[in-house]
Amino acid sequence: MNMTVWLALTIVLIAAIFIPRMGFLAIYKTYRATRERELVEDALKHLLDREQHGRQASPESLAGTLNLQRGRITRLIEDMETQGLLESRGTNLHLTTQGERWALHVVRAHRLWERYLTDEARMPLGRIHGESERREHSLTEAQLNDLDAALGHPTRDPHGDPIPTREGTLLKTEGMPLTAWQSEDPVRIVHLEDEPALAFEQILAAGLRLGQTIRILDRNPQRILLTDGETEFRLAPAVAANVSVAPLPESEAAKANAIPLAELTYDQRAEIVVLDEAVQGFTRRRFLDLGLTPGTVVYPELQNFFGDPRAYRVRGTLIALRKDQAAQIWVKPV
Amino acid sequence: MEANEILAKAESLRNDLSTGFRDEIVKSLYTEAENIAKRAVKAATDKKYDLDQKIDRLVTSPYTGLPIMLLLLSFVIWLTVSGANVVSNGIAVVLFGIGDYGRALFDQIGMPWWITGFIWDGVYLSLAWVVSVMLPPMMIFFPAFTFLEDLGYLPRVAFNMDWLFKKTGAHGKQSLTMAMGFGCNAAGVIATRVIDSPRERLIAILTNNFVPCNGRFPTLIMLATVFVAASFPPALTSFIAAGTVVGVVLIGVLFTFLASWILSKTLLKGEASAFTLELPPYRRPNISRILYTSIIDRTIFVLWRAMQTAAPAGAIIWILANIHLGDSNLARMIADWLNPFGLLLGLDGVILLAYIIAIPANEIVVPTMMMVYMGAGMMINGPSGNSAIFDLLVNGNGWTMLTAINLMLFALLHNPCATTILTIYKETKSYKWATLSVVMTLGTAFLVTFLTASFARLMGWA
Repeated sequence: MNMTVWLALTIVLIAAIFIPRMGFLAIYKTYRATRERELVEDALKHLLDREQHGRQASPESLAGTLNLQRGRITRLIEDMETQGLLESRGTNLHLTTQGERWALHVVRAHRLWERYLTDEARMPLGRIHGESERREHSLTEAQLNDLDAALGHPTRDPHGDPIPTREGTLLKTEGMPLTAWQSEDPVRIVHLEDEPALAFEQILAAGLRLGQTIRILDRNPQRILLTDGETEFRLAPAVAANVSVAPLPESEAAKANAIPLAELTYDQRAEIVVLDEAVQGFTRRRFLDLGLTPGTVVYPELQNFFGDPRAYRVRGTLIALRKDQAAQIWVKPV
Repeated sequence: MEANEILAKAESLRNDLSTGFRDEIVKSLYTEAENIAKRAVKAATDKKYDLDQKIDRLVTSPYTGLPIMLLLLSFVIWLTVSGANVVSNGIAVVLFGIGDYGRALFDQIGMPWWITGFIWDGVYLSLAWVVSVMLPPMMIFFPAFTFLEDLGYLPRVAFNMDWLFKKTGAHGKQSLTMAMGFGCNAAGVIATRVIDSPRERLIAILTNNFVPCNGRFPTLIMLATVFVAASFPPALTSFIAAGTVVGVVLIGVLFTFLASWILSKTLLKGEASAFTLELPPYRRPNISRILYTSIIDRTIFVLWRAMQTAAPAGAIIWILANIHLGDSNLARMIADWLNPFGLLLGLDGVILLAYIIAIPANEIVVPTMMMVYMGAGMMINGPSGNSAIFDLLVNGNGWTMLTAINLMLFALLHNPCATTILTIYKETKSYKWATLSVVMTLGTAFLVTFLTASFARLMGWA
C-alpha cells in the first residue's frame, strides 16, 4: 500500500518536471531563453545608442547599462561574438552588420509600441517607455510590419525620436538641446528624452509637451525660464538639456495668433485653424470624423452647469467636448 | 499596371507625403460633401432649431436640469415596478397552471415521481419563475428607456453628468449604461458599446453590477416593507419603504463611483481620453422601431440567455431539495454547513446557499430561500402577507434587523448573475475581466456586510 502511494507520487513528480512543453523543466528553459534574448537585445540597443552618439561602447559601459556582474557580461559578449552580432576591438565593442540590423529591429519595435500605446491605448506619456521596454522583445519582423501599417507608418515616436523604416534606415534626430539655443525667437519642441525617467517626469510635470511652441525668457546657471505665451515654465539646466528644440516650420506660423477652442466665450464664432500636433491616432480620427476640420466655423452653444464639458455647434450638429479636448483645437475668432 | 507595381509605387510615394495629409483628405471630403449639400438641400426656417435650443437650455440648466432628470428616472422605475406587478401575476397564473397540468398528465401516465419532479418542479418551475418575474419589467422598462433614447434626451443626461464621471476617471456615457442597468445588468453591459474608448468602457462594464436591476428590486422592496417600514405608522409605510429602496440605490451609485475611481487609479490607469458626445436634435420617437429594438434586441435577447442558465439551476435546486438524508435534505445540510460563515456576515447559511444555487438569475433567490426555510421540495412564494413572512423569518429562523439590512446590502453588491457574467465575457472576450467582475463585487459584498455586522455587534445592536 505504502509503496504504491510512493511510486505513484514519484511518477507524478517526474512527469510534472519532465513533460515536454508543460513541465517545470520546459517552462524554466523557455524562461531562460526569453531572458537571454532580452539581454542580447538590450545589449544591442546600448551599442547602437553609443554608436549613434559617436561614443565608444565597452564591457564596462554595457555592465553599467544592463546592471550585471562582470563575469556575466564577459560570457554575454562571448556568446554574442559567436553569433556574429558584435566584435571587440581592444577594449571597445562594435556592432557587426547583422548586429546592427537586429538592433534597429528592436529600436523600431520599441518606438512603434510607444506610438501605439500613446495613440491607440492612450496610456499616459510617463508610462509608455517602461511598457515598451517589456514589449519590444516579443514581436517578429512580420508582426512589426503589420503594426507599422496599422499605425499609418509613423515617422517619429511620441518623444520625437525617429522610427527606423523596415529597410533599416534611421532619420537623424533633429533639433538641438534647449541649453544650446541662444536666440530669443520662438522655437518648437521636437524631442523629449525619456531617459533618465526622473528628468522626463519633471519635464512632463512642468507641462511641456512635444510640438509646443516656446520662447526662452531668461536663463542663468540655476534655471531656464520659458513661456508658451501664457504659462511660464522653470527648468533646471540639467533637465532642460533633455529637451530638444528646432526653429518654427512654416505651418506653425498659422498657429501664431490662434487661441484654443476651450477659451472661446459663449456664442463667439471662430474658424478652426489646426488640430494640435499632440493629438494623434484615435482622438484625431475622432475629431476629423465629427467634422472638426481646418476652416470649419464653430461656436460654443451649450454650457454644462459645472463649466465642463461644453457643447459646440459644428456643421449644424451639437457636439460636446471636455475642456482638455477643446484645448487641443486651435481656432481664430471671426 | 499590375497590382504589385501599384503597391510598390504607393510604397515609394509614401515617404514624400507631408505629415498632415490625412487631415487634408478628410477636409477635402467634407468640402465636397458641403458643396453637394448646398446644391441639394434647402434649409427650412429656424423655428425647430429655436425650440431645440430652448429645450436644451431647460434640460441642462442647474436649476431645472437635475430635477427633470431625477423625476424622469423615478417615473420610469415606478412605472416598471408597479406595472410589472400586475402583469407578472397574470403570467405566473398561466405558466404555473401549465405546470400543474403537466404534472397531472405525467402522474396519469404513470411516470416515476422523480421524473415528474425533476422536469416539472425543477427545470420547468425555474423557467416559469424566471420568465414570469423577468419578462414584464423588461417589457415596460426597455421601451420606456428606448423612448427617451429615441427622443434625444439621453445624450443630454450624459452631458449633465459628465463632470462627475470625469472626476472618477470614467466617461459621461456611463450614466446611460447605469440607467440601463436598472432594467438589466446584462443589457447595461451590452449598452457600454456606446463608450468608444476601451479603458472607460471596461470601467463601465465592471461597475455596472452596483446598480440594482429589476430582478433585485422585488427583494429590496420586500425587505424594506417587511422589516424597515413595519416599525413605522401604517400611513407612512409605503413612503418609508420607497425611501429605503432609494437609499439602497444611492449606496449602489456611491459604490459605482468609488469602484470607478479605484479602477482608474490602479488596474485601468490612464488619462481620461477623448470625450466626444453628439447631442442630436430632438425627434419624434418612432414607436415601431422602439418596440422592435426594446423587445427583440433587448428583452428577448436577455431573457433567452437567462433561460439557458435558469434551466440547469432549476434541476440542481430540485435535486438538493429532494435528496433526503435522515430527516433532513441536502439543501438544509449545506445551509447548516454554510451557517457559521453566513452569521459572520450578518446573514445566514440559507441566504448564502440561495445565492450560490440561484446564480443564474436574482429573481429566484427569494423563492429558493423560502423553499429551504419551509422545508419544501420546490421553489415557493413563501407565506402570504407581510406579517406571516416576518413571523417565518424572525421567529422561525432567527432573523434580525441586521439580517434584513445586510441582505439588502448583499443583494446590491454581490456578484453579477450568470447571464451578466456570460455577457461580460462575450463583450470583453476575456476570462480575466469576467473573473475580475465577480471577485471585485463579491469581495465588496463580503467586506461591507462583514463590517456592518461587526459594527452592529460591537455596538450591541444585534
